[in-house]
Amino acid sequence: MSEYHGCELPEDLFYDLDYVWVRPEEDGTLTIGITDPAQTMSGRLQKARIKKIGTHLEAGRHVATLESGKWAGGVPVPFAGEVMDRNEKLLEDPHLINIDPYNDAWIARVKPDDPPHALDKVSTGSAAVEALEAWIKRYGVQCMRCSE
Amino acid sequence: MESIDQIMQHDHKRLDRLLEQSAEAVSHGAWQEAAHFLEAFRHGIVDGHMTVEESTLFPAFERQKGDAAQSLTALLRKGHQDLRIFFEEMAEAIHEQDAETFEDLLSTVQTILKQHDAREENELYPFLTNALTDHGEAAGRRILDFEAEAKS
Repeated sequence: MSEYHGCELPEDLFYDLDYVWVRPEEDGTLTIGITDPAQTMSGRLQKARIKKIGTHLEAGRHVATLESGKWAGGVPVPFAGEVMDRNEKLLEDPHLINIDPYNDAWIARVKPDDPPHALDKVSTGSAAVEALEAWIKRYGVQCMRCSE
Repeated sequence: MESIDQIMQHDHKRLDRLLEQSAEAVSHGAWQEAAHFLEAFRHGIVDGHMTVEESTLFPAFERQKGDAAQSLTALLRKGHQDLRIFFEEMAEAIHEQDAETFEDLLSTVQTILKQHDAREENELYPFLTNALTDHGEAAGRRILDFEAEAKS
């Protein structure tokens, strides 16, 4: 696990090099969430809307929208696909994203339309970490996690 | 002519009104009217307001302030990128006559715009007159031309 300005950046995930991380699952779906620096920048999240199961999304469209007292934004999917599952816990308590953005607070699982090319526009490993470090520096982020 | 600061703030208010008119039409099920107002809003904000900011105002601010400007302009550019996608999604919701999705998107977009506009008005616009070699005359004229086009 890499760390930069207090931000955790797991090297085994894929990233859109902005807000989003992607994790391939054994069943062929791709789990989506937002990164540690993104949750820090957003502040304490108060509202989450996640697209319903069965919704089809084109690449770049928002699978979820998140709002805090000081920020609002979307969570884009880096590939086209259908929402197979969503994290219902976040609808009740979006603040979980500020506590555990890479595990409990996953946002949605999406089945890609074109599995062989679903990860073409995301990066992983040391190249991704380096690009995310530049992102963190560009926006002047110092990561903080909420404990509860 | 008003200062660039005043022109940009006035344009924020004009665009807010167009978005509100679109929302009002959605609430009455007047889908054609909603689409018309949303397109007027999108054209004004994307092709006018954001284009002037990204091509002229942000670079001038970055030249004047150096590294100190980078995190602000990066954040504002990112905001524009996100908003463009939301506007497409709002247009799709109107096309599909899906008021619930439109209302959700509207709430998020209005929150983004409120915060985004406040940052621009407090941290960017007050410095533009000095940052631009013509004190913002050309940029201001482009915005005023868009406003005139919308009225005609």
